[in-house]
Amino acid sequence: MNALLKAIGHIISCKDASRYVSRAQDTRLTGWERWKLRMHLKVCAKCLRFEQQLRFLREALKRYKL
Amino acid sequence: MDAATFAAELDTHRRYLLRVAQLQLRDSDIAEDVVQETLLAALGAQAGFTGKSSVKTWLTGILKHKIVDAIRQKQRQPIFEASFDEECDLDEFDPMFKDNGGWESPPADWGDPENALSRRQFFDMMEFCLEKLPPNTARVFMMREVMELETDEICKELTITANNLWVILYRARMALRLCLEQNWFAGQARGA
Repeated sequence: MNALLKAIGHIISCKDASRYVSRAQDTRLTGWERWKLRMHLKVCAKCLRFEQQLRFLREALKRYKL
Repeated sequence: MDAATFAAELDTHRRYLLRVAQLQLRDSDIAEDVVQETLLAALGAQAGFTGKSSVKTWLTGILKHKIVDAIRQKQRQPIFEASFDEECDLDEFDPMFKDNGGWESPPADWGDPENALSRRQFFDMMEFCLEKLPPNTARVFMMREVMELETDEICKELTITANNLWVILYRARMALRLCLEQNWFAGQARGA
């Protein structure tokens, strides 16, 4: 993987990324936050999986009601 | 839909409404009252049901207002006074992450989670996991995800800051995710 891409992706940690992912479900992140998260998700499969799981949880809670 | 059919239909959703109210209010008497008021309001407003959404969704919409009213009325009473402070501090040690901010135990492979959505037992497990959340956390999370209130409405109702709200919702999602992973998805992914 491109070393530069990797370095940019790790401007934020997984801990930070997980908080961004959650907050993005409630509000619009700032442009800089969106950029940092987007780059992190490009290089981190764990956080990408976390993001998909949170989306699934939201969908599941919606179904719970229907 | 004639009146008798409509009344029977309302009754079938009673249990669900009670669970939702109970999860948010954590008080079975108040939850019961709120559900009764919801059903009464629904009976009086049958004309307001357009059939565009499911009856359950329509009832949930009415329940939302009744719950918000109940919280507003009871906010100064002890059961609602449980401090949010202990549930919204994010700077403390988080066992999900290492000191360097990496995952302590990374999210596991859930296989094809969509399959779970057609299983009744999955939703039972979800209720079990929601019940395990701390009371204020569960209340806020249900307001956001089931009642679909906007974050500024929740902040206004509960007089908490947006930051506190995000922390609480983050905690709730982390806990719910982990609980479902451990109790439902563990072992499912490989079998799928």
